[in-house]
Amino acid sequence: MSIARLKTFALVGLALAIIAPVLQAQSTTGPTKKMKAAGIKVMMIESNEIKLPAEFQVSLYEDLLAQLEKKSGLKAYREGDRRADSAADLVILHTSVTGFKEGSERLRQVTTVAGATSINVHCTFTDASGKTLLEEDIKGKVRFFGGNLRATYDFAKKTAQLAHEHFSPAARA
Amino acid sequence: MVGRIGRSLLIGGAMVCALLLAQAQAATTDAGTKVTQVTGLSGVKNKTKGRLLVDGSNLNFTHEQLKVDVPVSSVEDVVTGNDSQRAVGGALGTLSMLAPYGGGRFLSLFRTKLDTLTIKYRDSDGGLHGAIFTMPVGKAELLKKDLLAMGAHTSVPTEAAEAMPTAKEQKQ
Repeated sequence: MSIARLKTFALVGLALAIIAPVLQAQSTTGPTKKMKAAGIKVMMIESNEIKLPAEFQVSLYEDLLAQLEKKSGLKAYREGDRRADSAADLVILHTSVTGFKEGSERLRQVTTVAGATSINVHCTFTDASGKTLLEEDIKGKVRFFGGNLRATYDFAKKTAQLAHEHFSPAARA
Repeated sequence: MVGRIGRSLLIGGAMVCALLLAQAQAATTDAGTKVTQVTGLSGVKNKTKGRLLVDGSNLNFTHEQLKVDVPVSSVEDVVTGNDSQRAVGGALGTLSMLAPYGGGRFLSLFRTKLDTLTIKYRDSDGGLHGAIFTMPVGKAELLKKDLLAMGAHTSVPTEAAEAMPTAKEQKQ
């Protein structure tokens, strides 16, 4: 057997070793089954244990509403909105801040490696009766560009993506 | 004689200056405080500059032709804070990052201080909203006082309100 053929075998084997686990993971996980939901009600962000500045709390809440409306395809309702009471298949999103590090925009711009802002939020999606449908910890951060409040936008985008992956107005459970 | 003329000129100048200052102050209070609406005010794009004024029973935000009123009675929380922003911002600030020898980074060191005003309020359907405004230093606390005087609520009492019980305790 020539050296060239041996090299080819080795390369194919290496490629298979890399691709196989990915393919296996895909076949076992498969596409996520989406739960049916027509609307999502966002409750105000809670931060009982962590002292979160008011502007971050409000920014998290407003960014969440905007991103959910934009990305998830669900109708987003605000906390206390009476119209949500009559909505069928309503999902309620409860969020609680579990970690917060207010970085520094100045430090980020000067050093590019230090001064990151990060927010850890525990998200719980429940149905109208309070039964938990989905739970996940999501982190919002800003490392390089933008003000500290951009971390809330990062968190909102990730949460809206999560909602988009698990809930759909047309899906059947 | 010359001294008397000089003195009267000085007094006249001072009076004109005082009048102009008073007029300028009246204009700012009438037109409201220059603010930037960061996020949350319904019907207004993020980062819109405008003027904020407590006008009777409404918190009024105006930007060119756009006018948004929030009834003060629907304001559930008013909180002030402070922040800072790059002295050289916008497109010029972004372009300055490309400046050689770390010139952009050097400019980032210069920042202007800002006050923030965060409010939470309910719309006509009962939905909870939050809005954030930034404004020059010292203005947020004044707006908060105006809002509280008109019936808004706060989770963080003003400095004056916080100081009052202490004064009473000292008397006892």
